[in-house]
Amino acid sequence: MTGFEHFLEALTPLNLAFALLGVTAGTVIGSIPGLTATMAVAVLVPLTFTLAPASALILLGAIYTGAIYGGAYSAILLNTPGTPSAIATTFDGYPMARRGDGDLAVTIACLASVCGGLVGALFLLTLAPPLSRVALAFGPVEYFWLAIFGLSLIAALSEGSLVKGLAGGAFGLLLSTIGVAEVSADIRLTFGSQVMIGGIQVVAALIGLYCIPVLIDLVATPDRHLKVESTSRGFRLGEAWGSLLRNKFNLLRSSVVGTLVGILPGAGGSVAGLVAYSEARRTARPDQAYGKGEPGGILATESANNATVGGGFIPTLVLGIPGTPPDAVILGALLVQGVRTGPQLFEAQGSIVYTFVWGLFLATLLMLPTGLLIGRYAYKTIVTIPKAILVPAVAFMTVIGTYAIRNNGSDVVIMIVLGAIGWALARFGFAVSPIVLGLILGPIAEQGFVQAWTIGTAVGDLPGMFFGRPISLAIIAFTLLSLLWPLVKSRIARWREGPGIGMVLAPTSERGPVDTGSLVVGLLLAGIGVLALVDAAGYSDPDSAVFPQAVAIVLILASLTAVVRALLGLRNRAAPHPGSTIRRVALLLVMLAAALALPWIGFLAAMIGAFMALILVAMHDAWTLRRALLFPLAGLFIVIAFTALFRYALYVPLPEGRLF
Amino acid sequence: MKRSVIKAMALGLGLTGLGGAALAQDFPEKPVEYIIPFGPGGESDISARLQQPFFKDKFGQDLVISYKEGGGGAVGWSQLNTMADDGYTIMGVNLPHIVIQPAQKDVGYTTDGLVPVYWFHYTPDAIVVRADSDFQTLQDLIDYAKENPGKLTLSGSGKGTANHLAQVNFDQLAEITTTYVPFKGTGAAVQALLGNQVMAEWGYTTVGSQQGDQVRLLAVAMEERHPLFPDVPTFKELGFDLVGGAYRGIAVPDGVSEETRQAWSEMIGEINADPDFQKKMLDGGFALIDVPYGDMQGWIDERRDQYLSAAKEAGILN
Repeated sequence: MTGFEHFLEALTPLNLAFALLGVTAGTVIGSIPGLTATMAVAVLVPLTFTLAPASALILLGAIYTGAIYGGAYSAILLNTPGTPSAIATTFDGYPMARRGDGDLAVTIACLASVCGGLVGALFLLTLAPPLSRVALAFGPVEYFWLAIFGLSLIAALSEGSLVKGLAGGAFGLLLSTIGVAEVSADIRLTFGSQVMIGGIQVVAALIGLYCIPVLIDLVATPDRHLKVESTSRGFRLGEAWGSLLRNKFNLLRSSVVGTLVGILPGAGGSVAGLVAYSEARRTARPDQAYGKGEPGGILATESANNATVGGGFIPTLVLGIPGTPPDAVILGALLVQGVRTGPQLFEAQGSIVYTFVWGLFLATLLMLPTGLLIGRYAYKTIVTIPKAILVPAVAFMTVIGTYAIRNNGSDVVIMIVLGAIGWALARFGFAVSPIVLGLILGPIAEQGFVQAWTIGTAVGDLPGMFFGRPISLAIIAFTLLSLLWPLVKSRIARWREGPGIGMVLAPTSERGPVDTGSLVVGLLLAGIGVLALVDAAGYSDPDSAVFPQAVAIVLILASLTAVVRALLGLRNRAAPHPGSTIRRVALLLVMLAAALALPWIGFLAAMIGAFMALILVAMHDAWTLRRALLFPLAGLFIVIAFTALFRYALYVPLPEGRLF
Repeated sequence: MKRSVIKAMALGLGLTGLGGAALAQDFPEKPVEYIIPFGPGGESDISARLQQPFFKDKFGQDLVISYKEGGGGAVGWSQLNTMADDGYTIMGVNLPHIVIQPAQKDVGYTTDGLVPVYWFHYTPDAIVVRADSDFQTLQDLIDYAKENPGKLTLSGSGKGTANHLAQVNFDQLAEITTTYVPFKGTGAAVQALLGNQVMAEWGYTTVGSQQGDQVRLLAVAMEERHPLFPDVPTFKELGFDLVGGAYRGIAVPDGVSEETRQAWSEMIGEINADPDFQKKMLDGGFALIDVPYGDMQGWIDERRDQYLSAAKEAGILN
């Protein structure tokens, strides 16, 4: 096999130790929302300057691959993707955890990640130079259509109301344009406020939109967070293997999809996971209920996102163009070390490259035992910890994680506000996932569109640019297929008069009284659309205006349709939200107060105060002397330990303010 | 008037060597926080990483790099003057960014409100084509553009950026019309070039050093040829008065004392003068410049008008 002699070089005790250390550290870091693979790699870059290039690369690659896997834990157990790559893991992972299968979900995620990682690394080892041409075959218009394909998932994720899903997606797309435009030259939708100049950071938004609603509903009732079985069932490896075997085609396809999307610079693990999930869902068997806790969904996402690690290294090493953000950091570290990437790297410095690739294999394999063990521990912790500690601890992690992404306090406030918005929208049938899809895919769609339009105009062939290129046509065909397939399937099913499948797609709405909540939310969203149109009228660069204008019009139309439906009383079955409103509001107020106070009184002071307040908010059990002593002490320990870790080990400049 | 008095005083202080020598002994006495207002992995990060070991060597303290990404640098710069002003917090600054952004909207800082203490390098603008391109020389490219107005597509990083303003300036100098296609960052612009999505790229000399023989530089915007590309002519040699690129420097919060500003200027200058550092920077495709604190204002003013008029020409400023 290619460069097999370097396999032995990768096997030195030092390199093995780095691979193990990297995977373990990466898994833990990735499981904390806000600590991304990019950050983990960036923190370790200075350390690698004193190492041999191949060892340094193995350490960085191992951390990276571990972090992508670690993101699955919080996705499954807290409905919060630890890294953007794990967004689609929440769709089925959290429902599985809710019904008591969190341990199984974590094990499945581990096996799938290892498989995906191995497939990605195998492609990197054997086919890197030819595959790097995939990156070059993808032009602006292909990125545009890829984003549209990703957005077509909205149809599946809208949970009953397509119109509301569209409105949510358009809202997310508009959110993605806030701040200094990436490619055109305007500052958009900031309304004169400097807080929004940096735009909405995607990870901060993910934490807010997914995690805060979970916390809000957690404090409201005394129910357990996840259903637990009284007996321990170990790793449930047998069942997980069974799932893998039943989904072997899904697994293979998702790993290949992940590798290919990973090769595309600018797309990354989140898009890979979404595309693989979308395909898995489209080709689902009748007995698979995607979105309701189907193991196939976790398998697809987790294998795809770990395959992007190997895939992303292909353009990074062959073309010198980073495939994903962590690759950009690793490439920078290589440049500082004097290693020049490019087509000549495989010949000129083959020893480094092949040793690294074999190291990546080893790291991926080591992820199996370490991942299973850490996953087991994470599951047990989340399941057994009392609610009065779980809620403040998770809330604290959301704040510290969000702050650490860009070392920016405004991001924390934005995160909490978005969380409240997400909770309120979900309550009225506007699902959160379409918003997230819009936020992630918005920049890819906008940039691709503007670039394709500019080039198409220059060469005088706009239709050919958008509809005349083979890869584009293939993506368009897949998009239509995913959108129309459910309809076709239901037709066939109805034609056969089979019950079951037809029922799933039957309208979930029924006539009732006027749906005031949806009415108000719809009008608000339409108002936001109008505001965006007004703002866009003031842009000096037409390139900045075309996308927000188009999206705003979609938002207004979809929202007004939702308003009409609400007036007619066509209402979705909104999930009931029992529990204490006072506790919900108190949670938000405490978090917001802490976020606003932390620049003034210092991070540690604000967080200790917030932790203690949240213990009170989340406490449903009776106070005993033991609890009254233990809970605040545990809180102090968690806050101080993590603040110290972030301040001194990760170099996060947490504000010290007046106090500490 | 007042500014020039302070400048003269600072200069005098520096010249006597008294202030400088005294400071050199007790400053810095603890690690310094070096904030990059962009994400990791970009040119600003790489050049900071190259400075890091030399700083430790010469001044005995760590340079701790952190990132405050957002708004194309604006988030970091708008917060710089609120940061600790004891001289132990410094931040990377970039031109033309800090001229163009405040001219567009209120971004929370002004060009004159920032205190750069040294400009230490730049990535010179360059026109890059694929190795198999028909454009062998700059003249080939100009001829094509003259025959096919607007049809020549060039990728580049962003709008209102060094790449974009270079395109605007060059189109005027060469009397041609080309189409500029903005991408997110240099990596994406290079990807579009290599993938044949555009015919050429407005990039930097660093692209040439990273892509090796996949690409060819047609001309570089420097006073003299870059040592890494001895065969590539400068625009000046070919008769176009185009020198510049993206400049990178170091700024301190406005509360930092004149002595400390001067001390920083001298320390960065000392790193810049180190032959090993110079070699590493040049090998990476960067070009060094030395604009110390004393020469700051005149140097920025000189560039500001060029940038603003090019941005107006490009239609991105009203």
